[in-house]
Amino acid sequence: MLNVFLFAGLPYIALVTLVGGTIYRYRSNRFSYSALSSQFLEKKTLLWGSVPWHLGVFILLIGHLIPIFLPGLWRSLMVNQAFLLLVESAGIAAAILCLFGLSVALVRRLTVAKVQAVTSPMDLVVLGLLLFQVLLGLGVAMAHRWGAVWSTQTTTPYLWSLLLLQPNLDLVANLPPMVRLHLVSAFVLVLLVPFSRLVHMFSVPLAYLWRAPQIVIWNNPRRFREVPVVRQFVESRRYFLRGAFGLTAGGTLLTAGVMDKAVSFFRGPAMSPEEQAALLRKRLQRLEMTAEERELELERLRNNYIFVANLKELQPQAGKYFIDYQMRPALAFRTEDGLPLLISAKCTHLGCTVASAVDANKQLLCPCHMSYFDLHSGAPSPGSPALAPLPRLGWALMDAQGKLLLKEGPHGRREGEFNVAQLEECGVFICKEYEENA
Amino acid sequence: MPGMGSVTHGKPAAAWLMVMSLALVGQTAFGYPEFQQYVQKSSGRTVNCALCHEHPDGPEGLKPGQIGSLTAEEMDRLNRARAAFQPGQTVDSPILNDFGDAIIRTLGKQQLLLLRQSPEKLPAALGTESDLDQDSIPDADEYVAGTHPLDPNSGQPWRLFLNNLKRFAFHVAMLVAATLFGLYGLNNFLRWFEASAAETTEHGLEDAEAFRRVETVTHEASRRSRSAAEAGP
Amino acid sequence: MSAAERVQKVGRFVAERFPVEKFSFHSLFQKKEVPIHRMSWAYYMGGLALFFFMIQLGTGLMLLFYYQPTVSDAHASVEYITTQVSGGGLIRNLHTWASSAMIFCVLAHIITTFAMKAFEKPREVTWITGVVLLLLTFGFGFTGYLLPWHQIAVNATKVGLQSIEEAGRYLPGALAEVPAQVRVLIQGEAAVGQATLSRFFALHVVVLPLLVFATLGLHVLLVQLHGMSQGVDRPTKKSERFFPLFVLKDFSLWGFVFLVVFVVALCLPFESFFSFPLFQPFDALGSTPEGIKPEWYFFFVYYPLELLPFWLVMLGQGVVVAGLFLTPWIFSGTSRKTLSIIAGAAAFYLVVITVFGQDIYQFFKGE
Repeated sequence: MLNVFLFAGLPYIALVTLVGGTIYRYRSNRFSYSALSSQFLEKKTLLWGSVPWHLGVFILLIGHLIPIFLPGLWRSLMVNQAFLLLVESAGIAAAILCLFGLSVALVRRLTVAKVQAVTSPMDLVVLGLLLFQVLLGLGVAMAHRWGAVWSTQTTTPYLWSLLLLQPNLDLVANLPPMVRLHLVSAFVLVLLVPFSRLVHMFSVPLAYLWRAPQIVIWNNPRRFREVPVVRQFVESRRYFLRGAFGLTAGGTLLTAGVMDKAVSFFRGPAMSPEEQAALLRKRLQRLEMTAEERELELERLRNNYIFVANLKELQPQAGKYFIDYQMRPALAFRTEDGLPLLISAKCTHLGCTVASAVDANKQLLCPCHMSYFDLHSGAPSPGSPALAPLPRLGWALMDAQGKLLLKEGPHGRREGEFNVAQLEECGVFICKEYEENA
Repeated sequence: MPGMGSVTHGKPAAAWLMVMSLALVGQTAFGYPEFQQYVQKSSGRTVNCALCHEHPDGPEGLKPGQIGSLTAEEMDRLNRARAAFQPGQTVDSPILNDFGDAIIRTLGKQQLLLLRQSPEKLPAALGTESDLDQDSIPDADEYVAGTHPLDPNSGQPWRLFLNNLKRFAFHVAMLVAATLFGLYGLNNFLRWFEASAAETTEHGLEDAEAFRRVETVTHEASRRSRSAAEAGP
Repeated sequence: MSAAERVQKVGRFVAERFPVEKFSFHSLFQKKEVPIHRMSWAYYMGGLALFFFMIQLGTGLMLLFYYQPTVSDAHASVEYITTQVSGGGLIRNLHTWASSAMIFCVLAHIITTFAMKAFEKPREVTWITGVVLLLLTFGFGFTGYLLPWHQIAVNATKVGLQSIEEAGRYLPGALAEVPAQVRVLIQGEAAVGQATLSRFFALHVVVLPLLVFATLGLHVLLVQLHGMSQGVDRPTKKSERFFPLFVLKDFSLWGFVFLVVFVVALCLPFESFFSFPLFQPFDALGSTPEGIKPEWYFFFVYYPLELLPFWLVMLGQGVVVAGLFLTPWIFSGTSRKTLSIIAGAAAFYLVVITVFGQDIYQFFKGE
């Protein structure tokens, strides 16, 4: 029976009283619809009480309201372990902040004579209850870990069942006593709102943030003369505080972002084995290409003749690629008269490699931009983007013993003599001397 | 081949012969430059064989990704890819990049050979689902625009900008917030310096008068609320 | 004139340019005033260039952690930064965009200071260090362009270095060989290769930054020593304190500009404005893609080189650079109105050739 009263009766009484009471108070005595300020009477201790308390309770309220009203979002966030840990520690820190603030406020109310004069019994009741409530909350957080997670399965649906007018007491029946006490105490606090200074949470003075500064001073002539100076001071302090706030907030955000990016940047990528293998393969390939290039360069630096192919392997219709002395691609053919024909394969337009096949018109095609070159003269056909002819290369024929039989310069001048029978055994070479003359 | 048959009815036989002869040449020699030429003309951007091939100079040659460099196993894969006439077959050609493979997989070699006649129809045939580089621009659109379907940094600048803006909305919002906070702070610091530097005596009397009024009002309000609180709830 | 008089004169000259008596925190920061007039916005340009330089320092240092300056690995390492390293693409893109922005600001700075006659006595040295900084900034652009070792990088560098050699054709006798040797000296070998990459890397990350630190330090110190120039022929007598008012405004502008540059760097890859073949690894044995061009900030000399006789462009370039160095003496008696017209013409030329260079080229070449 007590259970039903505490978890079904009390919440509804509290809710009805809250709505009715606050409306009544607002209509009957609007000026009292806030908390009576005592800053005027004493402000040094107040700073240490009020600021930590309000900061802490603001964080705690957010931490309690989001899981109640946006449980889905909350649950999706809490899946992240790090975030859960962060939320729990922030909650405990905020609770400690609240405790500190409330204790200071309580001591102040009880010890400062001026403040005592304006303190009503209700103020003390509320303070004590809040202290009790925060202690309970802290106890719950300590004794029953990860409330941010379990509350979405228990208290949130319970509170929703209250709001939907179908109270489901089973949800809270088996909760630990401390949690149940925390809930009851919360209902009592809600109940007390219309009758106490707590009502000021509905009149949060947001306008303070942008209204002009006001100073309350004792009404005597000396203080009166100081007003402009004080005002100047207060005004500049306001600007300084706003400036510091803006820069701190902006700086914090920026630092967080930069740290987030910088740390992951310097830590390097987390690559899967396949990605690592692909990367290594690519880099190895590049190294091989460089090595190959260097080898070719070295060979061309050292040797006066470089082997291209055996003459009998060459064909009139399909060329064989090789690299010339200038490190450019070139093609080797065998013409109908049985002798080699060497021609540069680097397109004179943009340097693509010309394809190796000879078409029906005895032309070579550069596939990049469709330039046709005559195989024998190297000249581009009309309409090709290339304008200069592909240069012919000189060559030398040597037999298996390395004896030079025949040479032909790039312009067709031949030296030496040959007989057809020997040709089949010959190798085709390119010669450095022709490069130097070219 | 029923697909081929429909073409012979629609077009002169000579054209069909040309398709077939080109196709034969295409299989033994250099890729399909028709697509490249169409893209260059339509987009105004330079495009090379690396749009679909492994090597930027196309499949012809000795370098990695070109036919001359292939091992026996790779040759095997190449022949399998060349035989993929019907769509839907798994293609992993050693001379094609992922986009090239995807084209053969989606269209099949047969349809691709036919499309050489009208390269402008390739995007429609490819469809808009595939986005290999995940830059939110479909491969077919990248083909038309002459940008690379496998490089997320390549794309029409404006579309890329909008897509990335959406993707990085959180980062951008955070930085906007940080900047606004910072500007707000700097602005207030400016005023702080101005206020602390300004002469305090200049407006002295005027302000004193104004403040007497403010003070009275505040004082009055607090007295009234105090009496109200004492009256109790 | 006796030797003593001459020494005295030199002493006076130096003393006027480097007023050591102003070398105090009070006069460097607290006393300095920034004039307010219709050209006041131009006072922000130098600071903005400095800000972009700081971004370049930060992002450049970060890139240095991953970049590998060898012909076989350079392109792969840049690709690794862009695609694998978390945030690497952003850092690299920021480096690219901020480099362009920095060059833009430096150009705007020199044009506006010219129009405002900020080189007037005793600010000659400030101006000359500024011109040196401009050349160093272009040096940064030219050397940094090669480092990714992709097609456009290497080929544009080749074209750029080739134009040095061209100059030899117009030199008499033995001098004709000099430009070719200069080119080999810069390249480090017969063709653009590993030696060139190493040299450009050293220049880009060590030599040029050190030179910039020294020159920039002197430049900023002199700006603080002499204060802002009056900027207009008839000063308005209105001014604001440099510290903290102007500095805070400077910071505000930097904050806003950073937001813009960051968002652009995050969402808009610099490479998306170019054809993709230009960014494939450079292949000495392969083909050259179409559309090799220098970066936009070299268009003002590139398109004239393509259109006009080589000697004319080289001569013009020499005259302009010499003119820039001698500006404080050439234009010492010119009114700001005339200077503004010259500066406006220069700005007009730069904008037109940069934006419409390709169209102008095609118009004259009839392609």
